[in-house]
Amino acid sequence: MFRDVALKTLRDLRRGFAWWSLGLVGLVALLVAVYPTVRDNPALSRLVKQYPDALKAFIGFGGQVDYTSAAGYLGGELFSFMAPLLLLLAAIGAGARGVAGEEEAGTLELLLSCPVTRRRFVLEKLAALTVEVTGLGAVLLVALWVGARAVPMHVSAAHLGAATGSLVLLALAYGALALLVGAATGRRTLTTAVVAALAVAAYLVAALAPLVSGLDPVKVVSPFYHYTASDPLRHGLAPVHALVLLGIAVLAGALAPLALERRDIAVA
Amino acid sequence: MDAPVIRFDRVTKRYGRARGIEDLSFEVLPGEVFGFLGPNGAGKTTTIRLLLDLLRPTSGRIDVFGLDARRRSREIRARVGYLPGDLRLYGRLTAREHLRYLAGVRGLRDLGEGEALARRLELELDRPVHALSRGNRQKVGLALAFFHRPDLVVLDEPTAGLDPLMQQEFNALLRETTDDRRTVFLSSHVLAEVQHVAARVAAVREGRLELLDTVEGLRTRAFTRVEATFRTPPAPDAFDGIAGVRELERRNGTVVLALSGEVDPLVKALARHEVLALDSHEADLEDVFLALYREPVRVP
Repeated sequence: MFRDVALKTLRDLRRGFAWWSLGLVGLVALLVAVYPTVRDNPALSRLVKQYPDALKAFIGFGGQVDYTSAAGYLGGELFSFMAPLLLLLAAIGAGARGVAGEEEAGTLELLLSCPVTRRRFVLEKLAALTVEVTGLGAVLLVALWVGARAVPMHVSAAHLGAATGSLVLLALAYGALALLVGAATGRRTLTTAVVAALAVAAYLVAALAPLVSGLDPVKVVSPFYHYTASDPLRHGLAPVHALVLLGIAVLAGALAPLALERRDIAVA
Repeated sequence: MDAPVIRFDRVTKRYGRARGIEDLSFEVLPGEVFGFLGPNGAGKTTTIRLLLDLLRPTSGRIDVFGLDARRRSREIRARVGYLPGDLRLYGRLTAREHLRYLAGVRGLRDLGEGEALARRLELELDRPVHALSRGNRQKVGLALAFFHRPDLVVLDEPTAGLDPLMQQEFNALLRETTDDRRTVFLSSHVLAEVQHVAARVAAVREGRLELLDTVEGLRTRAFTRVEATFRTPPAPDAFDGIAGVRELERRNGTVVLALSGEVDPLVKALARHEVLALDSHEADLEDVFLALYREPVRVP
């Protein structure tokens, strides 16, 4: 009876979803098309091998930097930076819009004058966010699978699925976090900025941990560490890392209704 | 006597910079139009948002339909229609899509009286609301407040942007609502808007209840409005302490006085100054109301 809020939220996302999908598919098409050239160019591979460790740390995606293998190439060019960037932007945007966006727009006033509990409202926003992020992951996975078969690239569908799955969990964690911060503050721009800053910090911690000894013990608090740690394109997704990401998403998603429940709704 | 539909019991709400309400108590009875008056910023919207559980009181108790406004809010809101003072809609959706959405959220199978209301208010159902004028958006808000036949309609400055013809239609809508023993809580900053539809009015100022009376009762507080223009403005306290006389306002050399007693003491007082012009007439209801507001705020 009350799934209307989630459905409307998804309907509002249609256009955005189409653009994000187009971006992901275009990115994959470009990378896949360039792959044979990179693979067959030993000079380029040597060059990448000579990159300073600091640079390699950013393009490793949990394993060796190796542009001659499909796994190494996709890890370095797609999963270490561009794909998380796109999915996190989409997820954080949706999370921040969920509560804070409607509150700032003033439409929350009308909606919460209906017999919907705040808890229900937030959970429906979380459901819509989950569907959107999972959908974008599915688009990415299909594009990769089709591209990998066309070239062809030697990477299994299972390993592509593991990498995409890890990415979806990472994006869900940050999307839920944005929903939580938005529910607590009611301010969309602030929420986006805070959560994006947290993501950048976590990304740097995970990337630099192998190089900076002081960072190594704290890397476990970085969701990006758990995102890459299983080396999903070569070894699949280790349950422990997947569960940590899922745990963050569930915890933030569970706290978000409580955050909204406790406070006054702001006037637009 | 029937149990009240709305009951505020010593409710206080304080927050941030915005002014809240202080120790507010009143009751609204079933089947009445209750006029809730006050200047902008007096606490009208705060009061309304408290009863919808959009705000939480600092202290005090609010009951709606005899249910606790905080814990039983969902049950209450199922029976309430609300027009916010600052109505915000989904710009890309049409009025019909708004009705459909809120009908879905309210768990209704159809649009209720939405289409009939749209015809009455001459509202275009199928244009995106961002393309509508302010008055037409307000009609969308009215349709959303009434379409599900709520037992209580809460309207925050509802006539903003409505043309006079629509205002009449709106008044008719209120009468039909109370004819079914349903209740209307109507806020406004001008008495004229509510005096023809409301039987009782409350007025708030600076978050406190200033006045709670019937419209009839307000009329009995009528007085004569005396406007005198002087060559040289009299001292500020020139008319203090005269029986039945109260100074309402003063601009340049003109002083406006409310007279509710005998005429003679005032005439004697005026005669001590050089009077250039003198005008007096029965005060209308708006004057009565404004005069009440000009009384000094009681300090507890």
